[in-house]
Amino acid sequence: MTYQRSTTYNRRSGSMRRNQNSVAYSSAVKLGPVTHTVLVALMITVLGLIYLTQATKATAYDYEAQGIDDKIAEMQSEKTDLEVENARLTALEAVQDSAVAKSMEAPKETNNLR
Amino acid sequence: MALFVARLFYMQIIQHDRYVAAAEQEQVKSLVVKADRGEIYALDNGKPVKLVLNENVYTVFADPIEVKDPEAITKAVKEIAGGTAVKDIEKLVVDKPSRYKILAKNVSRNQAKLLREKQLAGLGFQKTTRRIHPEGKLASQVLGFVNAEGVGQYGIEEGLDDQLTGTDGMLKSVTDVRNVPLTVGNNNVRVPAKDGKNVVLSIDRNIQAYTEKALYDEMKKIGATKGSVIVMDPQSGKVLSMANLPDYNPEKYTTVMNGAAFNNSVITAPYEPGSVIKTFTVATALDKGVITPTSKFNNSDTISVEDIVIKNANLGITGDITMQAALSWSLNTGMVTIAQRLGDGKNITYDARKTMYTYLHDKFKLGEKTGIELAGEQAGNIISPDTVQGNAVRYSNMSFGQGMNPTMLQVASGFSSIVNGGRYYKPTVVAGEVTSDGSFKKTNSTLLDGGTISQESSDTARDMIREARNQFYAEGDKPGYDIGGKTGTSETLVDDSYTEDQTVGTYLGYGGDTAPKYVIMVQASAPGKALGGRDVVPIFTSISNWMIDYMKLQPKG
Repeated sequence: MTYQRSTTYNRRSGSMRRNQNSVAYSSAVKLGPVTHTVLVALMITVLGLIYLTQATKATAYDYEAQGIDDKIAEMQSEKTDLEVENARLTALEAVQDSAVAKSMEAPKETNNLR
Repeated sequence: MALFVARLFYMQIIQHDRYVAAAEQEQVKSLVVKADRGEIYALDNGKPVKLVLNENVYTVFADPIEVKDPEAITKAVKEIAGGTAVKDIEKLVVDKPSRYKILAKNVSRNQAKLLREKQLAGLGFQKTTRRIHPEGKLASQVLGFVNAEGVGQYGIEEGLDDQLTGTDGMLKSVTDVRNVPLTVGNNNVRVPAKDGKNVVLSIDRNIQAYTEKALYDEMKKIGATKGSVIVMDPQSGKVLSMANLPDYNPEKYTTVMNGAAFNNSVITAPYEPGSVIKTFTVATALDKGVITPTSKFNNSDTISVEDIVIKNANLGITGDITMQAALSWSLNTGMVTIAQRLGDGKNITYDARKTMYTYLHDKFKLGEKTGIELAGEQAGNIISPDTVQGNAVRYSNMSFGQGMNPTMLQVASGFSSIVNGGRYYKPTVVAGEVTSDGSFKKTNSTLLDGGTISQESSDTARDMIREARNQFYAEGDKPGYDIGGKTGTSETLVDDSYTEDQTVGTYLGYGGDTAPKYVIMVQASAPGKALGGRDVVPIFTSISNWMIDYMKLQPKG
């Protein structure tokens, strides 16, 4: 018993190469060079816009951070003022001149506990 | 087209660096982040309390070119800034073409806020810091002040200026028109500021305040115009109080007419301390084993050393008397006798002088800087026996506190070691620091190697010093406590010769319960006035009695 190669096989194997599509489709839409240019320009614009929004966002954070820094500095300044006020009010001279101190009496006698 | 391309190539490629630099100069700002100067604390019953603080204040200025409403600015500044406003504001705000005219200085934050809220065109603010001394004149010479350039002057402000100053930080960044730093750009640099160290002094503000008051009150009574006191802890070398009169308010240092008020005489003015040094002579002799309190010598009110005759101030205590009596009666002849006994018994030999120098200079550290953290410390002088001036006559005088120039700090520190068992602690005014988290980190005392005298010698010397006080000056003391001391009167140089008409009174003593807890040294003087040790005893007594209560010492018995 003998086998025969089909005719089709013989025909395909004769014209086929490695990595070559054997079937080609042609698009119905054709883009010309102008369209290509516009598309590239659009892509660049989109990328630019993305960059711009990100940069603006970062700058917005900068302003927010600066605002917080200013607030911290303001509160720090307020704290310093309060500390100064506290130190003035609790200074020995201020305490001695206070009404409470003036109404106090010196101890008449001191006894030591053993 | 070719020209255009060529120009672009030139600008973008050839001159790339130049334009990048120009752009950076325009966009990138380098801002200094100011470090806060460290604050200074004193102790109050062992807890730190602020003695010098920083306060944010503002300088208000006008840019006359930008000013739109001069009347409104004048009115607002006068109303809000009040006493801090300068004169003739009306003229300054219209003084064109000047761009900077100061209208008020040291304006508080709240005042600046009120002025800002008025949104007056041409009005500007500059933030600065100033030092605040809530306790006023308290410990002024210990503290010093910070001058207009922000540099510490005198006292601890100058002595520890490097540590108090801190290190400024830096912010280099792209900024917008309002100088707000932005994160765009690759070369942003942020170096945080390192604030100055917050120093805690060993000065106790209550002891300091009482010391100043006692000094002022007693000086007034005796007519002294200049006085100093130092109170030390003999068990650690820490200075608890250091007072000088006249003093000044560091916040108003520019109004001080006499610059001498800035000086802390306790460390800057070496002087002949007089008979208080007899305690050192006795301690030396006890340690060398040449005397005991009951050792006798024959006193005839005078003693000859080479070609000079030395006399006692207290006459008539003659005959065979003890060394205790010599100390109690403050007899110069007794001290010269001790100096002789340190030699061959009859002369103040080179060996005797060498021994005295070793004790006074090397052990008790008189005549050399102690290294205290305050500016302006002077070394003083103790003449070496190896010099021409270090002869027997000189050393006979040194045995009773003349012919030598130590500072009060040196004497009080050496005396502390005499009464504390012979341990010499390096004197210090620093107790530690307040760290950034607000905790108090204490500094340990520095005990110098070697010691000064033995424990036994110290015990005996303390007994003798106590007896010296008990015999004449203990009347005002609180009973039941261990208190001792010695007077000193020293002549001063007037027109290059010593005079008895103008003398400095000194008293040096200690107090405590089971062990000495404080050492007090007092000095007072006035031009043309003969003040003696006994004149300043009440200052010692007043402070000593107060210290006993303040330290809650328990009486014996």
